[in-house]
Amino acid sequence: MAESPLHGSRLLAVFNRIDKTILFIRSQSLMQRLNLVPRPITGERRHLIQIDDIVRLCIAVSMFVFLAVMFLSTLASGDDTVTSGEQLTDANVLLSRGEAIWKQSCADCHGEQGEGVPGAYEKLLIGDESVGQLTKVIVETMPKDEAETCVGEDAVAVATWIHHTFYSEAARLRNRPARIMLTHLTGNQLQQSLADLYGSFGNSSEREDQHGLTARYYDGTSRKDDTLKIERVDPIINFDWGKESPGEGIESKAYFIRWRGGLKVDETGRYEIIVRSTAAFQMDFGRFGRLFIDNHVQSGDKTEFRKSVTLMAGRVYPLQIDLYQRERKTEQPPVNVMLSWVAPHGVEEVIPQRNLIATTPPATFALQTRLPPDDRSYGYDRGLAVDLAWDESTTQAAVEFASIAISELWPDYQKRHKDDTDENRARLRSFVGEIAEVAFRGPLTEEERQLYVDDQIEATEDDASAVKRCLLTILKSPRFLYPELDRDRSVSQRVANRLALTLFDSLPSDKALREAARNNQLETEEYIRQMAQRMVNDDRCTGKMREMLFEWLNLSRLNDITKDRELYPNFDSTLVADLRSSLNALLDDAVIDADGDFRQLFDADWVYTSPRLAEFYGDLWQTEPNETSDSDDGEENPAEAFIGLQPTNELKRVQAKAPYNHGVLSHPYLMSGLAYSDTTSPIHRGVFLIRYLLGRTLQPPNAAFTPLSPDLHPDLTTRERVQLQTSPETCQVCHSKINQLGFTLETFDAVGRFREKEGQKQIDASGSYIDQNGETVTFTGTDDLAQYLQGSDDAHRAFVGRAFQHFVKQPIAAYGPEKLDELIEKFRAGNFNLQNLLVEIAVIAATPPAPTSPTSNTDS
Amino acid sequence: MIHYNSRRDFLKQAGLSALGINLAMGLPSLTRASATTATRKQRLIFVFSPNGVIPDHFWPETLGSEFELKRILQPLQPFRDQTITMHGVCNQIKGDGDGHMRGIGCLLTGIELFPGDIQGGSDTPAGWSMGISVDQHLKNQLQANPETQTRFGSLEFGVMVPDRADTWTRLSYGGPNQPMAPIDDPYQMFDKLYGQQKNRQILSSVLDGLQDDYRRLSQMISSEDRQLLEEHLEMTRQLEKDLQRELAVGKSDTSHSANEAGHAVPTLPANIEEQNDNMPQLTRMQMDLLVNGFAADFARVATFQITNSVGQPRMKWLGIEEGHHTLSHEPDDNAEAYEQLIQINTWYCEQVAHLAKRLSETPEPGADGSMLDNTTIVWTNELGKGNNHTRNNIPFVMLGGGLGWRTGIAHDFKGVPHNRLLMSYCEAMGHPVDSFGNPDFCHDGVLSGLV
Repeated sequence: MAESPLHGSRLLAVFNRIDKTILFIRSQSLMQRLNLVPRPITGERRHLIQIDDIVRLCIAVSMFVFLAVMFLSTLASGDDTVTSGEQLTDANVLLSRGEAIWKQSCADCHGEQGEGVPGAYEKLLIGDESVGQLTKVIVETMPKDEAETCVGEDAVAVATWIHHTFYSEAARLRNRPARIMLTHLTGNQLQQSLADLYGSFGNSSEREDQHGLTARYYDGTSRKDDTLKIERVDPIINFDWGKESPGEGIESKAYFIRWRGGLKVDETGRYEIIVRSTAAFQMDFGRFGRLFIDNHVQSGDKTEFRKSVTLMAGRVYPLQIDLYQRERKTEQPPVNVMLSWVAPHGVEEVIPQRNLIATTPPATFALQTRLPPDDRSYGYDRGLAVDLAWDESTTQAAVEFASIAISELWPDYQKRHKDDTDENRARLRSFVGEIAEVAFRGPLTEEERQLYVDDQIEATEDDASAVKRCLLTILKSPRFLYPELDRDRSVSQRVANRLALTLFDSLPSDKALREAARNNQLETEEYIRQMAQRMVNDDRCTGKMREMLFEWLNLSRLNDITKDRELYPNFDSTLVADLRSSLNALLDDAVIDADGDFRQLFDADWVYTSPRLAEFYGDLWQTEPNETSDSDDGEENPAEAFIGLQPTNELKRVQAKAPYNHGVLSHPYLMSGLAYSDTTSPIHRGVFLIRYLLGRTLQPPNAAFTPLSPDLHPDLTTRERVQLQTSPETCQVCHSKINQLGFTLETFDAVGRFREKEGQKQIDASGSYIDQNGETVTFTGTDDLAQYLQGSDDAHRAFVGRAFQHFVKQPIAAYGPEKLDELIEKFRAGNFNLQNLLVEIAVIAATPPAPTSPTSNTDS
Repeated sequence: MIHYNSRRDFLKQAGLSALGINLAMGLPSLTRASATTATRKQRLIFVFSPNGVIPDHFWPETLGSEFELKRILQPLQPFRDQTITMHGVCNQIKGDGDGHMRGIGCLLTGIELFPGDIQGGSDTPAGWSMGISVDQHLKNQLQANPETQTRFGSLEFGVMVPDRADTWTRLSYGGPNQPMAPIDDPYQMFDKLYGQQKNRQILSSVLDGLQDDYRRLSQMISSEDRQLLEEHLEMTRQLEKDLQRELAVGKSDTSHSANEAGHAVPTLPANIEEQNDNMPQLTRMQMDLLVNGFAADFARVATFQITNSVGQPRMKWLGIEEGHHTLSHEPDDNAEAYEQLIQINTWYCEQVAHLAKRLSETPEPGADGSMLDNTTIVWTNELGKGNNHTRNNIPFVMLGGGLGWRTGIAHDFKGVPHNRLLMSYCEAMGHPVDSFGNPDFCHDGVLSGLV
C-alpha cells in the first residue's frame, strides 16, 4: 500500500480538526498494515511477523492475563448493572465509582480518555470486548504490578465506565457523531469521471453479453460485399492457418479479416496488449480509427507487437484488428495470429473469451497519467490529500484529456454541428459549454460560463489552444474536483450526482440520468430506487463490485504467491494466474451477477477450472463440464467450425465436487495465499476469517515472530505446532480466537489441495468462534464453517459494512445511527443479493441528512 | 600568477606555432577561441523531397568552385558560397522492394529492405529497412556523450506525409524494422517542443479566476469542510507564485545563451488544417519550429520529410493541378510536364533556401556567426530522375557549415555508393565508422576531397 508523501501530516490535521472515530479506524488500518496476511514467501522463510513484534505483543498481552477464579462473579455483576433500566441509579453510581477509580489509578498511564500516555501505555484504549471481558482483564492485570488492588466491584465499575465512556464502538460514535466530509475526487474517481466525460459525447453503451469478437472474412484484400465470405463470432483470436485458406470461399493467396468488438476489463491497472502475427495488421483500440498498433507492413520476422496501457475496471474498450494476407509475387509466409495480454497480477495469456464482447462499444478514453495514491487512513480511499503531487497530477490529467478532446471530441462535434452558425465561434462555445455542464454535474451559472468558457476562448485565436485553456480551467475547478460542492443544485441533480459517484465512482453522464436530473424526476425515494436499480446493472457498477470483493477478500495482499519448489514443483506463476482468474469468475457468478447470493460465496456448487488447474489439483478439477446450463458455454461453437483455431487454457465452469464446494473457503487461490511456502498457516487463515469475513477488530500484533520450524518438531502437526507456540496464556487472549477459526481450514494444505492427513496424523479441523454477542459456536471443518458464515450476523454485518464503505466512502453512521442495522435487514430480506444491497446503499447515499452544522455565510 | 615577459613568450607557453599566431590573434580572445572550437555545435538536417529531379536543370555543368546554379537551384543563389552539389553518388542497394521503396527506405540506412508483403512495382515485395538510418545513428552517438546530449537528440519533421505507415512514407529508422514516424502536424510538433511550457503558461493565467471560484463555492459548506478548500487555495497561491517566478525568468532574458533561448516560445498561426493547399504554410510553420528548436538546442539532428516517396502534392499555388508523382512519370518530351516538374523542384529548392535563410539570420547561441555556420542542410531525394526511376546520381545538395566541409563547390564522384557519403557524415560529425549500412558498399571508406 503506497502512501502519499504528506500522509503523516495529513493525518495529524485530520486528528486535530475532525472526528475522533478516525482514531479507531486509523488503528484498524494500522492493523491492516501490520497484519498477519503473508507476503511473498521466499526460500529463506521470511515472514511478515517479526520476532521483535511478537515480543511486544506478548508484553501487551501479559497485561490481560486471564484469572479463572474471578471470571463468573465479575461477568455476572458487570453486564447486568448497565443493561437493566430499573437499576439506572445504580448504574450511575457504578459509573461515577468507575470514573473515580480511573482517574486515581489508571489515567496516569492510559490518559484521561484512554488516549494513551507517551512513555507509559501509548495506545488508544479501544476495542470490542464486552464489559465482562474487560473486567476479567482488569481483575487479572490492572493496575500494572498491583493487580490485586482493583478487583471485584471496583473492576466492574472501571470496566463499565471505560466501556461506556470511550472504549466501545458505541461510545466512540456517541462521542463524535460521524459526519459526511467534503472530499475531492479520488484517483479512481478522477479516471472514471474523465472516461464518462469523454463518453458523454458518444452513444451510451448497452450492456452486451455475447462473448467473442465479430469477424468478417473477405476473399482478397479489398472489402466489398461480394468478397465477404464469412461473418461470425470468433471466441478468441488464436489462429494458425499456415498456408491454407482460413475458410470456405477464400483463397489462401490473399485475404482480409476484420475482427471487431470490445475488450471488457475486470480490474483497474496496467495492461500489456500483445499481438503476434505473421501477417500485416492494424489494431485500433479505445475507439475505431484510433490506431493502437500499426503493423501495416509485414516485414522480415517482426511478428510480435506489445503495448502497455492503463485500463479501468468495468469498462469495455472498442477493439478492431484488420489482418491482411497480401498477394505478392514471392512466396508467402504462413499466417498465424494471436491476441494476448498480461492483465494486472496475471501472466501472458490469450485474451479469454469472457473478456471479449462481440458487439461494437462506443469510443472510450482511459487516462494514462499516473495519479498519486489516495489517503487510506480510514481503511478505504478518500480524497483528502491536498498537496502538490496531487495537484500536479490533476494538471497532467487535464492536459491529457484536453489533447484527446482536441483530436477527437472537437472534430466530431464540428462535424455533427456543421450546419449550426459559427458566428463569434459559437460552435466552440457550445462545445466547451457542454463539456463544462457534464464536468460540473449541473448547469453553468452566468459567471461560470464567463470564467470557464468565454474568457478562455477569447484569450486565444487558435481553436485547439482554446479547448486546452478551457479544459485546464474546467478540470482544475472546484466544481469538478469536489463533487459535493453542489448544495446550490436542484434536489434531483444532487441525487443524480450522488448516485453516479456511489455506483460508478463517476459523474452523471448517461442521458437517462442527466435528463432525470434536469426534469426533477429524482425527488422521491421510489424514483431514486428505480434509477439505482437501472444503474447497478451497468458494467461500471459491476467493476466497482469486483473491486469491493477483492478488497473484502484482501486479495491485493496475495499478488505473488510462491511455494516450495521441491514440495510443489508445478506451482508456478501461470498456475497462480489461473487460480486468480478462477476465483474472479467464481465471484462473478456467486455475487456479482444479477441473481447472485452472498451465501454462495461459501457454498457455490460450481468451480471454474482449466486444464492446467486440473493437472495440478487432480480429478476433482477436471474440465469436462458436468452441467450445460451455464450461459457462457451455450454460445460456444464446436471447435471444428473454426478452421485453424488453437486451443487455449480457457477456464470452464464445472460442477464443484466436495470438498471444493465451499466457494471462497475451499478455493485454492485463497488457501494457498493464506499459507506459507511449505506448510499451512492457520494463523493467517484465522486472522483472515476474523478480520475480513467476520469484520472483527484484532489488536495489532505489536510483535512478530518466526513460526516454529516443522523440522524441529517432526512429530507435530501444523495445528499442534501453532498450539504449542501460542500456548502461553498471554498469547491466547488473541490466539484462542484466531487459531480456533484457522484450524477449521486445516484440510487444505499449503497449495489448497484437500488432505486428510498431515504426515501420519489425521487432520483435526475442529474449531470455534465467539461472536460479537458473546455466543460461542463450534464447528468441524469447512462444511460447518461455511454454514456458519452464511447465517452469521457478524459476517453479514462485515459484508454490508464493507460494501457501504467501498461504495460511499463516508461513514455509514453519518447517515443515521440505525442505517447499518436497517441495511443488514434489507440485505437478508433481499435474498442476500449484492445488487439489491447496492440499490439500498445508493438510496441512502443519495439522500444524506441535512448538514447539522449551520452553513454560515451562505448567500444563495 | 604567471608573468609573460613578451608576446613571444606567451605564445610559446601557450604552445602555439608560428602558423597559429595569426589565427589566435585574429580572434577576440584566445580562451574564447579554443573553447568555441572545442564545443562547437554541429547540426545536421536531412530535407527530403520526392520523385527525382530534372537533371539538366539541376546539376551544375561546371565543377569546382566556379560552378553555376542552374534553374532549379537558382533559389540558393544567396547561399552559393555555402553550397555543395554532389553528383555521382548512387544508391546501389538492391534486394526486395521497388525503386521508390528502396529509394526512400535505403536512402539514409544504406542497407536492404526486409522481405515483406508490400508489393510495389517490382517482382519482390518488401517490408521495412534492415538497419538504422544515419540521422538516428548520429543522434544515438550525440546522446551518448553528455557534452552533445540534448533534450530530444533528433527531431523528425514531416510536411503532408500520408497518414499511413508503409515503406514509402518512412525515411528515418531507429533500427532494423523500426521506422520512425515523422510528425507532420505543426501543432503536434509544437506540443512536443513547447507543450509543457505552454501548459504552465496557461495554468498560470487561469489560476486567479480559479481561486475566486474556490472562495465563492467554499461559502456553501460548513466551516469544518472549508478547511480542506482553504488548504487547496493556499497550495494554489503558492503554485501561482512559483509559476510566475518560473515564467518571468523566461521572459526577461534577451541574451543569446542557448539555455535561455529555450524559453522563447514561437507563435504559430491559428487553425491551419493539414491539407494540400496549406502545404506552403505548413512547410514554413515546420521550418520555424525546426529553427527555434535548434536555437533552443532541443536537438542537433533532424529529418524534414516533404510528403513521401511517390508523393502526390498538387501545387495549385504554382498553377499545377496534377499530382507530382503522376507528372514525374511523363516522358521528357512532354514539354508541359517537363516544365512543371522544373517548377515543382524549384519550389522545393525555395523551401530549402528559406530554411537556410532562417538559419543564417539566427545568431549562433553563445558563439559568433549564424546558426547556418554550424548547421548543414542535406537536401536529397529518393530518385535521381523521376521517369526512369534511377537511383544513380541521387540529388545531394548541401548548405551550411555544420559538417566543416569545403563549401561553394560542385563535385562529381562518378558513381560511388552512397554508403560512403553516409560514412562521411558520421566522420564529419565526430563519430567515424568503419562502414555504414551494408558493408559491401563501404570498402573504399569515406569520400575524399570534401574538407
